[in-house]
Amino acid sequence: MGDSVACVARRGPASEVDFALIGHQESWRAAADVLAVLRGPERTPLPDDEIKDLLPWIPPRAVCHLNVGSIVGAKARGLYIDSFIPPDRLEAAYVHENIARVRGAAACAINTGAKIVSLGGFSSILIEGNFDQLPERHDTAFTTGNTLTVAFIVQGIKKLCALEGRNLQRSTLLIVGATGDVGSGCAHCLAPMVKRVLLSARNVERLRRLAAELQAQGVQVEIATSLQRFSAEADLVICAASLASPSLLLGQIAPGALVCDAGYPKNLSPRAELLGATVFFGGLGQITGGLRFAPDFHGILNRHPFPDVVHGCLLEGMALALEGRFEPFSQGRGSITRERVEEMEAIAARHGICLAPLYNADGPVEDGPHGQTEKQPMQETAGQKWIRE
Amino acid sequence: MEPLIDVKASPMECTSLSTSAPIWQDILAQAMTGELLAAMNYASLSEICDDPAEVADALEHAQGERGHAAAFAAEGIKIGVDVPSNVDAKHWKRLRDAFLRCIAERDFIGCLIVQEIMLESFAVASYSRVGKVAPGSLGKTFARIAAEEEDHVDHAMSILRAERALAAQRFDDKVYRLHLEVMTTLAQMLAKECKDGHCEVCHASCVKPRLFDVSLSAAELRGASLRQYLRTLDMLGIPGEVTLSWVTQLPV
Ligand SMILES: NC(=O)C1=CN([C@@H]2O[C@H](COP(=O)(O)OP(=O)(O)OC[C@H]3O[C@@H](n4cnc5c(N)ncnc54)[C@H](OP(=O)(O)O)[C@@H]3O)[C@@H](O)[C@H]2O)C=CC1
Ligand SMILES: [Fe+2]
Ligand SMILES: [Fe+2]
Repeated sequence: MGDSVACVARRGPASEVDFALIGHQESWRAAADVLAVLRGPERTPLPDDEIKDLLPWIPPRAVCHLNVGSIVGAKARGLYIDSFIPPDRLEAAYVHENIARVRGAAACAINTGAKIVSLGGFSSILIEGNFDQLPERHDTAFTTGNTLTVAFIVQGIKKLCALEGRNLQRSTLLIVGATGDVGSGCAHCLAPMVKRVLLSARNVERLRRLAAELQAQGVQVEIATSLQRFSAEADLVICAASLASPSLLLGQIAPGALVCDAGYPKNLSPRAELLGATVFFGGLGQITGGLRFAPDFHGILNRHPFPDVVHGCLLEGMALALEGRFEPFSQGRGSITRERVEEMEAIAARHGICLAPLYNADGPVEDGPHGQTEKQPMQETAGQKWIRE
Repeated sequence: MEPLIDVKASPMECTSLSTSAPIWQDILAQAMTGELLAAMNYASLSEICDDPAEVADALEHAQGERGHAAAFAAEGIKIGVDVPSNVDAKHWKRLRDAFLRCIAERDFIGCLIVQEIMLESFAVASYSRVGKVAPGSLGKTFARIAAEEEDHVDHAMSILRAERALAAQRFDDKVYRLHLEVMTTLAQMLAKECKDGHCEVCHASCVKPRLFDVSLSAAELRGASLRQYLRTLDMLGIPGEVTLSWVTQLPV
């Protein structure tokens, strides 16, 4: 028996699992890397066409074990479960098939006895509003992980503003995908701190409802289904739309705007022309108390240029496991409030889970501890390198 | 040697399938070979069973598989083709040899793993796919036999689960050892292109490139078979991350 297989098979009983993370790969490159690890270094990697032929047939299942540590000594054991949604099948046309995959992944998580399950990336989007479609469960709680995602997006924006010497109170904030769970959470946290917010999504009714809520708090709000129709240019942008592929062009934003791409897959198209803008990938946190994968998927399942960086949605499940709070912390689209974000931030921070260093497709955005930030070169297109990968 | 199958059909359904008939002929030949091999495997299994009930069970299974082979032969006649079979064709022979090694070791559980978990996963999945696209009674026959094969798997599942409950690691190691032998051969057989020469079952050149003409593909048959196999291993309780690495390590 191959070493890696034997070692995984002999790990203790599955019921010792505290948390499970449900995810999917955002690109074929990422999927290929996962399969290459599973295949082992002694075998030639599968050709791309074989990967595209094989992956859609893989039923949802655990891929690896994780051990996460807290800076106060707590430890939690978990599993990463992939739903194996093919990276090019996130569109609405595949929604039923994808819901079935997430259900299958959820069933795996329940079978392992995981006490808390994070629904990463599109998993929560597919299941939100359909939690009754999950298999029957007794001691397994599900969280979308979006509260910690919002926390890290907001922290990232604030950090970059501070580094760039921008005054948040004088900023115009555009949120694309504003009515979504992540987008509306960001709106609730940041709107009261900025001069004006521009909210964008396709459904105008939902935009109106969110605008009314914010206006009631004295926020200056504009809504539009087309980014071209706003009366002002944004100098802060959060991209949090549930796009199946990086296709957002953004259009007119202020020169030198700060742009957070929080999408998974990324929102920004490689063709987006963001002259002079500073782009960073948002919603990411870093574990400082230790993270181990078995087999070793480090840098494969978390493809970031810094160690132990993980998406906020997945980190929320780990933070709750370390805290011993096995509850559906984030559920129900549009219910993320500032108070809940602060509560989740405090839980994460207690265990050493903090904002990840800011980076984009070209590498780190922060240049050393005092933060000389790197501008997007004039002809460079955001997200291009990411997509190329 | 007694005839392995008893064909009862008349060439009534010779219809407009003339262009695709050679493709169905090869598909039927592969299926019939698999059924005859299964019949031989069950007959061999009956020889190592101690319990008379198990002997009767194995012989009944062997008879059932011969019935399936006959049904496929009959479908061939209906579309006007002769359905050859070749249990000595290279891949099939290797599968038979793997089974015979279990027989030689009087390893009843090993036999069930090879036949019911591995070979039947392939049969259930591929027959189901063929059943969806094949016209008329040809499609119905594939679908019906797929369902019957699934019953075989269910029957074995309870025995195998009980065996795994006794010593999970030992059981999983055995499945892995057999996987390396049997599933590697099945994977080569199901590869999108035959890289190591003629399969010795198709009547002319390999049928795989022509499967598109009947709304099938080699990639789809392989994918469906591996999915079925993974699901069957899940039902046995083998950890999903372990079986995932097994499957991703197979040749393509
Ligand atoms: N960085 C991280 O750690 C995390 C990232 N995410 C990612 O954040 C994104 C949003 O997730 P979530 O809030 O849960 O999703 P939701 O489904 O709750 O919201 C999606 C939002 O996007 C809008 N939208 C969808 N399609 C379009 C479009 N074509 N153009 C403009 N707006 C659109 C929707 O409104 P409407 O339908 O009206 O257009 C809605 O406002 C996803 O990409 C998700 O994967 C999620 C969790 C963690
Ligand atoms: Fe059969
Ligand atoms: Fe059978």
